[in-house]
Amino acid sequence: MTNLPFTRLLRLAARQLMRESHAGELRVLFFALLVAVTASSAIGYFSARLNGAMLLRATEFLGADLQLSGSLSPAPQQIDSGLKLGLTHARVVEFSSVIATDQDIQLAAVKAADSRYPLRGNLRSASAPYLADEVSQGPQPGEAWAEARLFAALSLAPGDEIEVGDKRLRLTRVLTHEPDRAGDFYSFNPRVLMHLDDLAETGVIQPGSRVRYRDLWSGSTDALARYRQEVEAGLKPQQKLEDARGGNRQIGGALGRAERYLNLASLAAILLCGVAVALSATRFAVRRYDASALLRCLGLSRRQALGFYCLQLALLGLLASSLGALLGWFGQHVLFILLGDLLPADVPGAGALPALAGIATGQVALAGFALPPLAALGRVPPLRVLRSDALPVPPSSWLIYGTALLALGLIMWRLSLDLGLTLSLLGGGLVATLLLGGLMLLLLRGARRLLENVSLSWRLGVGQLLRHPLAAAGQALAFGLILMSMALVALLRGELLDNWQAQLPENSPNHFALNVLPAEKDAFAARVAALSSETPTLYPVIPGRLMEINAVPVRRAVTKEEGGDNALRRDLSLTWSAELPEGNRLTAGQWWQPLQPGELPGVSVEAELAARLDLKLGDRLTFNVGGLERDVQIRSLRSVEWDSFKPNFFMIFEPGTLEDLPATYLTSFYLPPDSERELVALSRSFPSATLLQVEAILAQLRAILAQVTLAVEYVLLFVLAAGLCVLFAGLQATLDERLRQGALLRALGARRSLLLNARRAEFAVLGAASGLLAALGCELVSYLLYRQVFDLVWAPHPWLLLLPVFGAALIVFAGTLGTRKALSASPLSLLRSA
Amino acid sequence: MNVSILSARNLSKVVPSAEGELRILDSIELDVMAGDSLAIIGSSGSGKSTLLGLLAGLDLPSEGSVELAGQILERLDEDQRARVRAEQVGFVFQSFQLLDSLNALENVMLPLELEGHANARERATELLGRVGLGERLSHSPRQLSGGEQQRVAIARAFAADPKIMFADEPTGNLDSHTGEHICDLLFELNRERGTTLILVTHDPRLAARCQRQIRLDAGRIVGAAEPA
Repeated sequence: MTNLPFTRLLRLAARQLMRESHAGELRVLFFALLVAVTASSAIGYFSARLNGAMLLRATEFLGADLQLSGSLSPAPQQIDSGLKLGLTHARVVEFSSVIATDQDIQLAAVKAADSRYPLRGNLRSASAPYLADEVSQGPQPGEAWAEARLFAALSLAPGDEIEVGDKRLRLTRVLTHEPDRAGDFYSFNPRVLMHLDDLAETGVIQPGSRVRYRDLWSGSTDALARYRQEVEAGLKPQQKLEDARGGNRQIGGALGRAERYLNLASLAAILLCGVAVALSATRFAVRRYDASALLRCLGLSRRQALGFYCLQLALLGLLASSLGALLGWFGQHVLFILLGDLLPADVPGAGALPALAGIATGQVALAGFALPPLAALGRVPPLRVLRSDALPVPPSSWLIYGTALLALGLIMWRLSLDLGLTLSLLGGGLVATLLLGGLMLLLLRGARRLLENVSLSWRLGVGQLLRHPLAAAGQALAFGLILMSMALVALLRGELLDNWQAQLPENSPNHFALNVLPAEKDAFAARVAALSSETPTLYPVIPGRLMEINAVPVRRAVTKEEGGDNALRRDLSLTWSAELPEGNRLTAGQWWQPLQPGELPGVSVEAELAARLDLKLGDRLTFNVGGLERDVQIRSLRSVEWDSFKPNFFMIFEPGTLEDLPATYLTSFYLPPDSERELVALSRSFPSATLLQVEAILAQLRAILAQVTLAVEYVLLFVLAAGLCVLFAGLQATLDERLRQGALLRALGARRSLLLNARRAEFAVLGAASGLLAALGCELVSYLLYRQVFDLVWAPHPWLLLLPVFGAALIVFAGTLGTRKALSASPLSLLRSA
Repeated sequence: MNVSILSARNLSKVVPSAEGELRILDSIELDVMAGDSLAIIGSSGSGKSTLLGLLAGLDLPSEGSVELAGQILERLDEDQRARVRAEQVGFVFQSFQLLDSLNALENVMLPLELEGHANARERATELLGRVGLGERLSHSPRQLSGGEQQRVAIARAFAADPKIMFADEPTGNLDSHTGEHICDLLFELNRERGTTLILVTHDPRLAARCQRQIRLDAGRIVGAAEPA
C-alpha cells in the first residue's frame, strides 16, 4: 500500500464500481448523466443536421454554397484551385444593357450564365407571361429568357427576337424565378437571362464596363473550407467571398436565431445534467464518508482515497456518456424519420462530432459538479471510524466552485461558440443563484414562526425543511434551476415563433413597385389599395452617393476594409419621410425636431451601417445627388427589420431636403395568389412602373421558418422530458433523510396518512419555493438573453407566476411517488439500514 | 518480548468548546510491549476512544508524542501515518464498519487488494473459514447478524497481518453471549499471530482477559493493573 500504482487503483475502482452497481445513488447518477448526455447529443445532432439542411436551403439564395464575386474577372488560379479541390463550378456574369427590338428599347439587368447554373436551387420559367411555371434548365446558346415585365414593356411574345449588344437572341421562355434573386431586390430593371457562350459575341463587355462576375462553387464542406483558405488571402479589393449565411439577411437572421435557440436548449440540457450530477454526487459522497475513513484506516493516503472515488465516477461517467451519445444518435435518427415529410430528403449527416461533444459534455459536467462534493471524501478524517460525528473539513468552496464554473463556461462556449450567450447564462445564473439562495434562506427562517399554529403534518413536513435550512435552500435552488431551464427554453420558443410569425405574416408584401412617377403616385396608390385592401405607403427614392464624412472624402475617412462596403461603392436609395417608417426603431438620437436657425438639415442613418462606417450622432455627411451636393447632419440612428419585405432605407432625410430633386416612388404591397390578370392590368396602366414579384422568395423563407419552428418544438420537448427525468432522479437523491425520519415516526406509531400528508406539505413548500426561484431566475436570465443575444424586446412574463404552483404540483407528485414504497416498507428495515 | 512497540509520552488532547478549552486527555504516559494485550477502561466520556485514536495515528495530540513501531507519529504527515497504519495496524470497531456494498468475502479482500496481494481471494476465504463464516462468503453485511458482521470485521483486521490490533468496544453492539464468542475469537487470533492488542472497553470482564489494564477518568490514568 505504500505505493499503490495507478493501474491497480484503476482496477480496484472498476471492481468496486461493479460491486456497487446496485447502489441507488450510483444508478441515479448514471441515469441522470445518461439522460443529460442523450438530450444534449440528440439536440447537438439534431441541430447540426437541421442546420445543415437549412443551410442547404439557404444556399439556394446564393445559387451556390460559396460565391466569389467582384467587378473583376477572377484570376485563372482562383478558379483552378477550386477545380483542383474537386468543387463544382458555375459562372455568371451580370451587367446592365439596353435591349433592343425593331420597335423599341428597354434597359435590362442581363445575366449570362453557363449550363451548370444554378448549383443550388432551381430556375423556373413559363411558356408565356403569367402562365403557370415549372422548373427548367436555363436557356441554350442563341436563346434568352426574360421576365414578364420585359415582354410587357417591349410588347414581345415568346419566339420574338431581341438584341443584346451585337448579338440577336430568340426569346424562348418567360423567366419566373431565379433562386439567387433574393439579395437583389432593388435591381430596378427587368431581368434577361442568356447563355454565357453568347456573351463574347454581344461585345457589351468592354474595359470599364460595370460588370459583376460571380463564380459559384458547390461541394463538400471540407473542400469549400480549404478553397476559402486558399483564395481568401489573394482577394483583390474588388472581390469578395460569400457563403449563404453572409449573403442573405433574411435567411441569415432566421438561421442565426434558430441556431442560438438550439444552442441555448443544449446549454439548458447541460445545466440540467449538472444539477442532477451535483445532487447525486453529493449523495454518493455523503454515503461514502464512512468507507473513505475506513480506507484511510486501512492505509490509503488522502490522495489515493480521493482518486479511488474519482476514478469510479469517471468510469461511470464515461459509460453513461457513451451510452447517452449512442442513444442521442438514435433519438435524432428516429426524429428525422418522423419528420421525413417536412424535411428535405438530403439532410446531411453530422459525423461523430455531436457524439464526442456529448461525451465531453457529460465528463465536464461530471467533473464540474461532482468534484466539489467528492473533494469532501478526500478530507474525511480517518478518526470518523471511531466517532461518526467527525465530518470532513468544509471545502474551500470558492476555489472549487470557481473551477467548476470555469470548466462549465468553457464547454458552453465551445459548444455554442457564443461568448455573449455563455457569459449571460453563467453570469445571470450565478447572480440569480446567489440572490435567490439568500432569499430562500431568509424565507425559510421566516417560516419558522408561522409554523407554530399549523397542523401536525405541516409542522412535521415543513419542520424537516427548517431543520436544515441550508440543505433545503440548496435543494430548492437545484429544483429551481431545473424548472428555470425548462421554463426558459419554453419561454424563448414562444417568443421566437411569435417573432417569426410577426416578421412574415400571411399577407406580408409579395410585390414591389419601383419607378412610380410622382404624377402617378396617388393614382397608383388608389389602384393598389383597391386590389389589396391596404393603402400602401409610397416612399420617394432618389439615387445618391455618400461623398464626404465630416468634410473628409469617404475613401480617406473609412479604412480600406470598410471601403469594400457596398453602401459606399454604389448609389444609395435615398428617401425622405416625416414619420419613422413602420418596422424601424430609433436606437440613438431623436426623430425630427424643428430646425434651429443655422442648423444643417437632418438625416437618419441605419444603425448597422453607421457602426460599420463609424458614424456618430452629429456627424456631417455630404451626398452627391443628381450632380448636386447636399450637406446633412446625423440626427438619429435606426434599427431596421431587413427581413420584413417592406421598403427599407439606409438613409432617411428630413422632409424638405431633397424635394426639389426628381424622385420616383417605391412601395411594396400584398396581392392574393392568382392575381396575374390584375398585375398585367396594373403594369399596363402604369407603364413606367416596375413591378417585382417576391412570392417565390417568401415561400422559400416560409419553408425554412417552418423547419426551424418544427425543430424548436421538438427541441423543447427534448428539454422538457430531460428536465422531468432529472427532477425525478434528483428528488430520489435527496430522499435518504426523509425516509429515515418517516421510519422513525412510524416506529413511534404515526399513521401512514399523517406521514403522507407531512411529506406532501414538505414537497409542496419545496416545490413552490423552487418554482418561485425559477420564475425570478427565468425573468433575470431572459432579460439578459433578450437584450444581449436574441435582440428581442423584453417584457415581464406574468404567466411565470404559475411556476410555483406548477413546481409544487410536480414535486409533490414526484416526491410522493418516490417515497411511496418506503412508506409501506417495515420501519424496522429502514431504521436498520439507516 | 520486552521491546516497546507503542509508547505515549505526556499525551494531551485539548479541544475548543463553548465554555472555553476542554481537556479530553491529560498527560498520558504509556508503554506497550510487543505481543502484550492492554485494556483501556473507563466510563463514557472518559477519553478512551480519543486515546485510541491518538495511539493509532488517526488523530494528532495537542501535546506530547506517540511512538508506534519505531515511528514518531506527530512527525509524520497524514499520508505517512496512513502508510504506518497500512503496514502495522489493524482495527476492529464497535460499529463493525463493513462496506454495505461489498459482500463478506469482498470486505475481507479489500485490504489485501489495496496491497496488491496476489492471492487475496484465497487468503480472505481462508480467514473467513477461520472465523467460522466459510459458508457465508457471498452474503452482504445486511444479511449477517451483528456477531457475524463483527467476525467479518475481525477477519478483515487480521488479513494484512498487522503487528498491532486496535479494538474499539468490539462487543459494544453485541449481546453478552455473542460478545463472549467474539472476544474468544479476537484473543485466539491475537495469540496465534503474536499481535499486540489494544482494547478499549467499559466491560470489566473483557478487560480482565488482557494482560494489563489502565483506567481513565476525565482524561487521566487513574489506575493500572496487571492481573496475576
